[in-house]
Amino acid sequence: MPATPVYIVCSPRPQVGRTLIARLLGEFLLLKNGRVTAFDINLKEPSLLDFLPDITETADVIDTYGKMQLMDRVIVDDGLAKVIDLGFHAFDEFFRMSEQIGFLKEAERRNVAPIILFMADTDRVSARGYDTLREQIPPAHLVVVDNEHVVRGGLPPMMERGRVLRVPALPTFLKTYIGRLTFSFTDYLRQERDSSTELHQWIRRNYTMFRDLELSLVMQRL
Amino acid sequence: MAAKPAVIVVGADKGGVGKTTVSRTLLDYFNANNVPTRAFDTESPRGTLKRFHPDVTEIVDMTSTNDQMKIFDTLNSAAPSVTVIDVRAGLLSRALASLRDIGFLDAAKGGQITFAVFHILGPSIASLDEIAETASFMTGAKYFLVKNFINDTQFFQWDQSTYNSYFHRIKDATDLTIPKLNEMAFEQVEIASVPFLKFVANKGIRDDAANYSFVLRGYVRHWLANVWSEFDRIKLTDIVGAGKAARSSGEK
Repeated sequence: MPATPVYIVCSPRPQVGRTLIARLLGEFLLLKNGRVTAFDINLKEPSLLDFLPDITETADVIDTYGKMQLMDRVIVDDGLAKVIDLGFHAFDEFFRMSEQIGFLKEAERRNVAPIILFMADTDRVSARGYDTLREQIPPAHLVVVDNEHVVRGGLPPMMERGRVLRVPALPTFLKTYIGRLTFSFTDYLRQERDSSTELHQWIRRNYTMFRDLELSLVMQRL
Repeated sequence: MAAKPAVIVVGADKGGVGKTTVSRTLLDYFNANNVPTRAFDTESPRGTLKRFHPDVTEIVDMTSTNDQMKIFDTLNSAAPSVTVIDVRAGLLSRALASLRDIGFLDAAKGGQITFAVFHILGPSIASLDEIAETASFMTGAKYFLVKNFINDTQFFQWDQSTYNSYFHRIKDATDLTIPKLNEMAFEQVEIASVPFLKFVANKGIRDDAANYSFVLRGYVRHWLANVWSEFDRIKLTDIVGAGKAARSSGEK
């Protein structure tokens, strides 16, 4: 049985494109599997819930009850892929809790595969956050997302050592276009007949990247 | 098995400082280290310790001679070499005085019995004031001052002179720290009425499969590991003469 994937898209910094990646991933998994559950842990930022209300639930890690509501579902091997959009304000608490409760160890035992997608940035907070993750998370589970729009080609060398997903920047007008709440990446692929458009290629490239990531997970566990 | 019987008294004169919680961690610790243990719960007639560890616990009235005989006259004959006594609130000084009167403290001083006292301290001056009184009974015993973090207290560490006056005054006392357990996790174990070890292993009272929250089990596992590392630090298994055996975590 393939493991149930749990994607945790995170950064200790705001405005790094985290919700964009969670949206893309959510839509990709929905297209590929027909179902996915996403958890939105954001209080202060534009949220995943606004973009994908049909598959997204809000969650929090402020108190123990919230942690139970989230983690007791995330740890279940039910074959349903999960995406967590982890707001920057919850970064420290989530990973502190995750270490305390032995999340990774239990996930391994239950055939659940957590994949931490760390949104890179060039500042000190991000470097410290990445260091924290490297201490906790085995390299196979930790993936750096190099969002060109944020990092602008200056990905810190320490973040290049492991697996890196590179997301090319879009021109501003396309960024605004995909930023509309009603925009759907999959709908665009289906409706736009011209597959040579920049946005079409950008979405396909990212979907392919996620498919490769999933495949590599499967291969690792064989 | 221990060469000589070991008695561990867990107590405090002040109530609500977590005596039974510490007793429960001790029973789990000995269980995980394969040290046969029996326990006496002095919260007569209804004991909290017995609720969690019914198989090894007997409820006794420490003030009754019959029950004193039941505990101390069986030390050499009883199969488990370690005896844990959870002394209910307000009875610690009296219990120690009784032990002195029956010659138990002298036997400990003479090396015939291993005797340790876990004095559970709460975050109040009233609780810390018990130390001097209890210490007067401690010749021949291993005396542990257990800072039990039932809340976010600092145990007056922010006021060094107050802290030193309590924790550095008794020469042969050893400090132990019991960290705070997540409140919901604590309550869930209360509801489950099982030892911490069984809770971590997701088991019910009769070893049946349970369905406790993974998050709460994780918190208990983490906390219990920290408590046990304190017991390891003071070499508790060596103190009771059991040596170091392979430990089971309880989780399958």
